[in-house]
Amino acid sequence: MLHIKCPHCGLRSQNEFSYGGDASVKRPELNQEISDKDWDNFVYNRKSLRGKHWELWQHLSGCRQWIKVERDTATHEIFNTLKADEEIS
Amino acid sequence: MQNYSIFSLIKNAFSNHENWDLAWKDPTPKNEYDVVIIGGGGHGLATAYYLAKEHNITNVAIIEKGWIGGGNVGRNTTIIRSNYMHDDNGLFSEFGMDLWRSMSQDLNYNVMFSPRGIINLAHSDAQMNVYARRGNSMRLNGIDAVLLNREQVKEIIPMADFSENVRFPIFGGLMQPSAGTARHDAVAWGYARQADSMGVDIIQNCEVIGFDVSAGKINGVRTSRGNIKAKKIGLCVAGSTNILAEKLNMTLPIETHLLQACVSEPVKPVLDKVVTFGAGHFYISQSDKGEMVMGGDLDGYNSYAQRGNLPTLQHVLTEGIAMMPFLSKLKMLRTWGGIMDMSMDGSPIIDKTHIEGLYLNCGWCYGGFKATPASGWTFAHTIAQDKVHELNSGYSLKRFNTGYLLDEKGLGTKTWIS
Amino acid sequence: MSQNYRLQNIGLINRDKKISFKFNGKNYFGYEGDTLASALLANGVHLVGRSFKYHRPRGFFGAGVDEPYAVVQLYRNGETEPNIKATEQELFEGLEAKSVNCWPSVNFDVGAINNFLNIFLPAGFYYKTFMWPKSFWYKVYEPFIRKAAGLGVASTEHDKERYEHKYEYCDLLIAGSGPSGLASAYTAAKNGARVILAEEKPRFGGSLLTSDVNIGNQSGKDWAESIISELKEMPNVTIKNRSQIFGYYDHNMLVMSEKVSDHLPQTKKFHPNKRLWYIRAKEVLISSGSIERPIVFGNNDTPGVMLSSAAKEYLKVYGVLVGKNPLVFTNNDSGYETAIEFKKNGIDPIVLDSRKNPSGEIIDEAINLGIKIKFSYVVVAAQGYKKVKSADIAGISEDKKQLGKIENIKCDCICVSGFWTPTIHLASQSGNKTKFNEEIDAFVPGKSKQKETTLGAANGIFSLQNTLKTSFKAANEISKKITKKENEISIPNVVEKKSSKHDKFWCVPLPKGKNYKRFLDFQNDVAVTDIELALREGYRSIEHVKRYTTLGMATDQGKTSNLNGLQLVSEIENKVVPAVGHTTFRPPYSPVSIGAIVGREIGKHSKPTRKSPMHSWHEKNNAVFVDAGVWLRPRYYKIGNETLFEASKREAKNVRTNVGVCDVTTLGKIDIKGPDSAEFLNRIYTNAWLKLPIGKARYGVMLREDGIVMDDGTTTRISENHYHMTTTTAQAANVLSHLEYYLQLVWPELNVNVVSTTEQWAGAAIAGPKSRALLQKLFPKDNVSNENLPFMGYMEADLFGTEARIFRISFSGELAYEVNVKSDSGNYMWEKIIELGQEFKIQPYGTEALSTLRIEMGHVAGSELDGRTIPYDNALDGLISKKKDFIGKRSLQRAAFVAADRQRIVGVVPLDKKTTIPEGSHLVKDSNAPLPNPKLGYISASCWSVEHDNPFSLAILKDGKNMIGKKLFVMSPLKNKIIPVEIVSSHYVDPKGERVRS
Repeated sequence: MLHIKCPHCGLRSQNEFSYGGDASVKRPELNQEISDKDWDNFVYNRKSLRGKHWELWQHLSGCRQWIKVERDTATHEIFNTLKADEEIS
Repeated sequence: MQNYSIFSLIKNAFSNHENWDLAWKDPTPKNEYDVVIIGGGGHGLATAYYLAKEHNITNVAIIEKGWIGGGNVGRNTTIIRSNYMHDDNGLFSEFGMDLWRSMSQDLNYNVMFSPRGIINLAHSDAQMNVYARRGNSMRLNGIDAVLLNREQVKEIIPMADFSENVRFPIFGGLMQPSAGTARHDAVAWGYARQADSMGVDIIQNCEVIGFDVSAGKINGVRTSRGNIKAKKIGLCVAGSTNILAEKLNMTLPIETHLLQACVSEPVKPVLDKVVTFGAGHFYISQSDKGEMVMGGDLDGYNSYAQRGNLPTLQHVLTEGIAMMPFLSKLKMLRTWGGIMDMSMDGSPIIDKTHIEGLYLNCGWCYGGFKATPASGWTFAHTIAQDKVHELNSGYSLKRFNTGYLLDEKGLGTKTWIS
Repeated sequence: MSQNYRLQNIGLINRDKKISFKFNGKNYFGYEGDTLASALLANGVHLVGRSFKYHRPRGFFGAGVDEPYAVVQLYRNGETEPNIKATEQELFEGLEAKSVNCWPSVNFDVGAINNFLNIFLPAGFYYKTFMWPKSFWYKVYEPFIRKAAGLGVASTEHDKERYEHKYEYCDLLIAGSGPSGLASAYTAAKNGARVILAEEKPRFGGSLLTSDVNIGNQSGKDWAESIISELKEMPNVTIKNRSQIFGYYDHNMLVMSEKVSDHLPQTKKFHPNKRLWYIRAKEVLISSGSIERPIVFGNNDTPGVMLSSAAKEYLKVYGVLVGKNPLVFTNNDSGYETAIEFKKNGIDPIVLDSRKNPSGEIIDEAINLGIKIKFSYVVVAAQGYKKVKSADIAGISEDKKQLGKIENIKCDCICVSGFWTPTIHLASQSGNKTKFNEEIDAFVPGKSKQKETTLGAANGIFSLQNTLKTSFKAANEISKKITKKENEISIPNVVEKKSSKHDKFWCVPLPKGKNYKRFLDFQNDVAVTDIELALREGYRSIEHVKRYTTLGMATDQGKTSNLNGLQLVSEIENKVVPAVGHTTFRPPYSPVSIGAIVGREIGKHSKPTRKSPMHSWHEKNNAVFVDAGVWLRPRYYKIGNETLFEASKREAKNVRTNVGVCDVTTLGKIDIKGPDSAEFLNRIYTNAWLKLPIGKARYGVMLREDGIVMDDGTTTRISENHYHMTTTTAQAANVLSHLEYYLQLVWPELNVNVVSTTEQWAGAAIAGPKSRALLQKLFPKDNVSNENLPFMGYMEADLFGTEARIFRISFSGELAYEVNVKSDSGNYMWEKIIELGQEFKIQPYGTEALSTLRIEMGHVAGSELDGRTIPYDNALDGLISKKKDFIGKRSLQRAAFVAADRQRIVGVVPLDKKTTIPEGSHLVKDSNAPLPNPKLGYISASCWSVEHDNPFSLAILKDGKNMIGKKLFVMSPLKNKIIPVEIVSSHYVDPKGERVRS
């Protein structure tokens, strides 16, 4: 069971969290013209690679904050966690 | 090629089984092939077989990073069914059922296809209606389906929980009598043996490093065992789809996730159907060896690990006991994980790509095993004719753009929710 | 029956306490502290079962978790459990066990015919035959094979035992209480670390219980006892016996199964049968020791052939002789330890050592004791069917290829030692890439992957001195880093015999002209010839070999067979062992109880149950409940012998004519506050929200980004910056997460807060033409007139001193109100409504009547919003704002979504106005068309229209917009129904929506 460091609450077990997918996906701005391709890339297409992966988790049974987690998809090692408003560097 | 039969078995017994041929050879790759199939799993091996058998294309290589049959074809829970609601899925799978029914004879390899029937349990009238919608759709597509009430289910699987002490009582279920199981490894080996005998090169321990693409056309593949030229290349790599797509500068509507399964210790026959739980996600069957083969939810986060965590299995087994309380007294013997290419609508992709000569077969989620023959057959057709067959016309890549989605579960793009 | 094989003055069993038990119907006795295996051996019983494939007789091979043979059916306290290892099962009074996989009995087993046919049944034979005739596999061959396979019998009764879970944190988790486990636990504990020490066996001490060593002037066993008693006194130490750590998972989470009650005749009151521990450890010390491996020779599966370490354990722990005329076959010093123990207890063993002329302290000791030793000698084959009677032995050449003249010697057991295999399972499970150690011909852990350190024999260190030294040191270093404390401990003096090098020899060649089966995997009957055949046929990867032959896939998980299998493959393939590789170890280390994994979440508790505050009222008033997710909702209120159909019709009719009340507490409720709330709602919902006045409600639909409808509901503006959102029961949690996602990640600039208030409010929907009159009675102080509280209006009111919220919204399509009060007052509100409603003929109505009401009004619900439909499909396209952007809007441009013949909701009425239409049926043009018959749409919901008194259904129909008035067929092949129908508008009642505004 993963041990995830919530930036708000500290280290907690995975069963307090729910997963939210690739954190690098940025929703296009509202009211902007956008090509089919860019929209499909936002809605459907994912890199989902082996290795380091920035992803979203929500601390559902805790502070309910969405957080960003850098995790290795092959080893499940977690390197870093960020608050929702912190940019991935 | 040697014929396998009771007679050849007896004959060879008297020479201490020392005269059996290789099931497949171990060739070194040639410089060039008409078709290279990447991925020596069930779908890749089946594709090569049908390329040779149906289209007479035998200058074919299958290249496999590890050992053939080592991916999901050897890691699944062996369920074979065509109980789909959407026409594209139903008709495709039912075509596959016909191939399953004659596979042992076609391949001269006993894949132990066992049409024992599958029951999807329902735990409310609303769920019965959902199953009715699916079952009626199957019947109108010519697929067998029976809607069972509680008493009928009890007659078939009395060991399910029909007691008072149950959170979600069984209301009934949808049964596909012709569904069943098969011996998963045998499917891979059977296809490999026949493909090999028709001239296909099965090249193991050969990892793809990159692709040779120029002017929008595929020319070959670079591998750990050298460069191989090919007029056409088919990608059949399931859980490695995203990795190879990256090498082709493609992003696909696919995420890679981990699915665990487990077996109990073997016990004497107690369950002769495949059964799925309706108030959660759990499925079970008993193997010929006596092991209860069980699976359920994804681990729920992108993963290439082939190793999972216990809470997921705990959750799966909780649903198992909720459905069949007697499982409590059994012991979990083995667990393992498979890497799933989860598509964004839960249905697969068998299609051409924007690169000429490059064909894509992926997105099988956790339903790839049952599709093995139909997938191989239609993919071979798509590659050989350079156009999709009617059977896989719904499995296009562009459906994610057009909106003609095949979402059996209605869960949308959250691939990690199973 | 007397115990002919029990010694008098040796062993750790309690001879004061006799225990009687039954095996295969026969009565025996043993002592407290025995295992079933040791007690049977004491009684001279060696035949316990039959093998999986050939049904060959099986005895005892080991003395613990590695046991491949002795698997029995156990009976305890009126329950039965299959596949119990007799070597692990402790004896208790009244224990009953039976042999498995044999019929009619273990002595005479019909299945043993397979043994005579074995030349026809090589590895994978079933892939080559049973193919003709085609249907025979499923009908004839497979049932036969299924019946023959399997070990024990699973009871289909419910498990009466209880299982618990426990979550624990510690500084050091130590797996195994042998020398390295004890030394490191002691050191770490002295440094103040929080330590958990786990031992899978009933007794602590591991190899110290059986080895002839001295530590600090005490025997190994006494030293272990003194350390254990000291550890038991320390508050920072938890020590657990009968507790096996079976899984090493991510982020240093390990799971342990504690057998709390299996050793007792029945589980004590309030005790669990087993307890599963989830342990998050800062550091893990793996001191799991090693398992002796066999040497492969002819008929090496005959009962009486066993590991030499097991024979020694039976002797020293249980005082049991596994034979009185033992033959010890070894390639290393360990066999001598066993031989010496025999000798010390008055039994004369013969030792066959494959080595030419080894020298070592223990060999000298054996010679001095007068033990007969033959060097460069091997066992060629065991003789005897149900028990070893003699052994064919021979000298062997130095290259181990040539056998000398074969002699037959009498013996009643063969104790075999092929050196030691470190138990690296936990290390491997942690992700550690193991490496092959040529010195010991086995894999050992490589670089630590998580926070794990492997010590002692598990790490390939077989000298006690080294084990203790390294364990003290490692535990000290690791624990002082955590506790910042260090207590000097002097390492005790160790006396052990210096060992000599083992022989790299693991398989005895076949003598000319002999075809003995030489087994690698004893339970699955995998012999050397099977591996050879697999390789010959091209199944060359070790994974192919394993799968083709089933090597290592039995319930012992190959603990004694994997390495010998690898040796064989490497020899034939001419590769070094590490190049052959080995299969990855996955949890569990040994089979673990499914009941224990699941714990308390069984039966009614398998999922939570949520109830509204009015639940007990519903119960008292004959409500029949329905599961709505984890909520229980009244489906209908039964009067007399009413059926569901009759009751729901009555309830619905009463709403249309008088007034009804429905518990709507389960609807999701979300409080939305902040100055940007309106802007936020405007982005979430498809329709416009910026101009909603205070005190007004609005219906809204929200989409996923892919354009599919996610949920619908009403949101009410309570005050300037405060909104109250309702969601469907099913989507409540998802919608909240969805809102939080957009607020926290996508539009953090919006000043809005959301919080779930589902549990805070109890809700009652009051619907029907008389609802306003009732409302006025309920709120005599408030003005609830149509002018003051119009359709989609909102007000706060006083329910006889209780604060209430009134929303004039309607799902039933009637004049209706939804009243919310704080949950605590829910029941009060409900009873007041019922009480004051009497004069208006109020009746409570359940979800079934609610469905009827909404269906005939054409209002959509979960069966239409099924995760596949867009607003247009549900005739909700009028709610799509053209002026603003919102979540999912861009996706609505997709070709499929704007197709001219896009599916759309319609009403369906049977032409005969009588036949009810089953939900889940499909609409077709031609009911006689050949299959596959093209489907035009499906019936999403059906009811008996109480307004029109005939069946009515909703359907999602292709080109629904242009199909009104058309005649089609409803088909339900599952129910054998074909119903001619007419397509009508989905608004079957009050299409202009006048009632809700009345």
